[in-house]
Amino acid sequence: MIDADKLKILTESAKYDVSCSSSGSSRQNRKGGIGNASIGGICHSFTPDGRCISLLKILQSNRCAYHCLYCPNRADADVPRAAATPAEICELVLAFYRRNYIEGLFLSSAIERSPDHTMETMLETVKKLRTEYRFNGYIHLKGIPHADPLLIAQAAQYVDRMSFNVEFPTEKSLKLLAPQKDKESILLPMRHLAQKRRAFAEEHGKHTARFLPAGQTTQMIVGASPESDGLILRLSEAMYHRFSLKRVYYSSYVPIVRHSLLPEKCTGLLREHRLYQADWLMRFYGFTAEELASPGENLPEEYDPKCAWALKNMQLFPVEINTAPLEMLLRVPGIGTLSAQKILRARRYCLLGFEDLAKMRIVLKRAKHFITCNGKFYGTENLSAVKTMLSLEAREERYEQLSLFSTQENYQSALTGQL
Amino acid sequence: MNIYLTDGSETCFYTAAFRACTDRTCQVTCENNVQLSLGAQIITVLPDEEKSARVRKKLQECDPRSLQDISLILRRGCPQKEMIALAYLRLIVRSGAPVRDRLSLSAVRDAADAIKKVLNEAHRLTGFLRFMESASGIFYAPFSPDNDILDLILPHFLRRFADQSFVIHDIARKKAALYNRNECIITPTDESVNVILSDREEGFQMLWKEYYRSVNIAQRPHKKQMKGYMPVRYWKFLPEKQPPE
Ligand code: SF4
Repeated sequence: MIDADKLKILTESAKYDVSCSSSGSSRQNRKGGIGNASIGGICHSFTPDGRCISLLKILQSNRCAYHCLYCPNRADADVPRAAATPAEICELVLAFYRRNYIEGLFLSSAIERSPDHTMETMLETVKKLRTEYRFNGYIHLKGIPHADPLLIAQAAQYVDRMSFNVEFPTEKSLKLLAPQKDKESILLPMRHLAQKRRAFAEEHGKHTARFLPAGQTTQMIVGASPESDGLILRLSEAMYHRFSLKRVYYSSYVPIVRHSLLPEKCTGLLREHRLYQADWLMRFYGFTAEELASPGENLPEEYDPKCAWALKNMQLFPVEINTAPLEMLLRVPGIGTLSAQKILRARRYCLLGFEDLAKMRIVLKRAKHFITCNGKFYGTENLSAVKTMLSLEAREERYEQLSLFSTQENYQSALTGQL
Repeated sequence: MNIYLTDGSETCFYTAAFRACTDRTCQVTCENNVQLSLGAQIITVLPDEEKSARVRKKLQECDPRSLQDISLILRRGCPQKEMIALAYLRLIVRSGAPVRDRLSLSAVRDAADAIKKVLNEAHRLTGFLRFMESASGIFYAPFSPDNDILDLILPHFLRRFADQSFVIHDIARKKAALYNRNECIITPTDESVNVILSDREEGFQMLWKEYYRSVNIAQRPHKKQMKGYMPVRYWKFLPEKQPPE
């Protein structure tokens, strides 16, 4: 059994990684095996900081040979060090899984000795889990940049999701802040895995695709380097298209390490929140990065990005709730994907008035300025008055943000992207 | 006014609905301690397969999914569950068609809310249920959900832990699912049972608590949100939420 001190060291350094979601894979249990992955993802506990525990998030080792400026585990840092053996991790995963503490494993690592050596140990762990321990639960594996492509491809066969962290939106920032990493060492394996996944799906049909069933994700640190939101969103958009990424995670910079090249202060959580909102709009609401922010621009703080877009395009509003096509309903501030679907279904039976929408529990605070119900308008005609009202409302939301999503509703919007 | 008193089973509910459907002012409940209003008459309903089948058949014709909906509503742990189900049933029978999308009607919303509450709790508990390993190698999970969901979550655990003998025990409703890696039965039980734990159990619970402590970001406390997602009433069975000894 792994000892408690080692577990502490190896999990404390892994906890800032935000990609905890275990959804997107429906791996089946096989005969004689244990576990399956649940398509919707399951939270097994919540920590006092309000976050969900779904996976055992752990480092194989925190003994690092690299010098990323922002990282508490970089080679010259004075921190307690530990490494776990593949068997120790397997045993722990199984014990936690059988007690229903977790959905599976999120395995990452510092670069111990060399990228190849690190990737080899991680490969051994996931292979052991699947073959020896017959574990069919969820596995998310972090890829190690510069590792041998063969090792990466081999490891990918055993896991549900793989992710390489882009870290920074430009090569320049990456070189400056993570000197041993470079763009190619991150993007190349992502491209290879995307190609493999596509080829596999073509060969075996879409529904039985078993190669990385939960796809790839990546993560960017926001605010440690000077790039604008517009640039970040363009990069995300390109990666969604080119690598069919499932998610891009944005993690607002938290200074754990002091360095002259790094900002002294945390990046506001509001910025991270706005990026997630914009990201949802690109993936589920048909927006392009161009519509949300120009390359040199940040997302506005005063309103959520959909509101901001609508206020710039007032000539398209108001839209009639009883006739507007889905694409347009989705562009109404305050009407999320769920509300839009509800409206589509309910309007088949009768003409919907303002009251009906309220009864259907559709939040109209923002939406009322952009819609008509049965020809009637319930909002405010005066654009500047609307702007004031929306920004006041957003300010309330912002104060909430500062205490990290204190209302359930705000947090829900970050998680589910109902905008 | 008539008060139809059922035994809580679906069959008994449909038997009551056979008459109650058109008995405008009536009440249906399975609670023995109903508030008697003046002039109320209690009618104790005995399950009647034939009447129940006729109601089910009618519903099936109007909306094939309605039986499933009503079965979920009747699992609610609230005294109004039969009335919510009855209002929904009346509406379906009157419309002769599915009504679930007509969310501007209160009967539909109440039904939808009840269903959502039951399914939400079932989903939550697939995460919050905790097993402990007994000395004999059987994994034991006690819980006491608000709604009657044991058989809703069971298939999930049968798939997941196919190779593991386990017991899931609904302490509040005094019943348990027993699985021996081969077959599974649900049986009535006592309120509590004595389980002798395996030698390793305490060690793994300790590691889990250590993990729970170390993944928390202490600089960003947000207890309100934690409790929103993981209500305190579920903590009783979570090792990570037990006070340190
Ligand atoms: S590679 Fe960089 S980010 Fe990763 S553990 Fe080492 S120093 Fe930290």
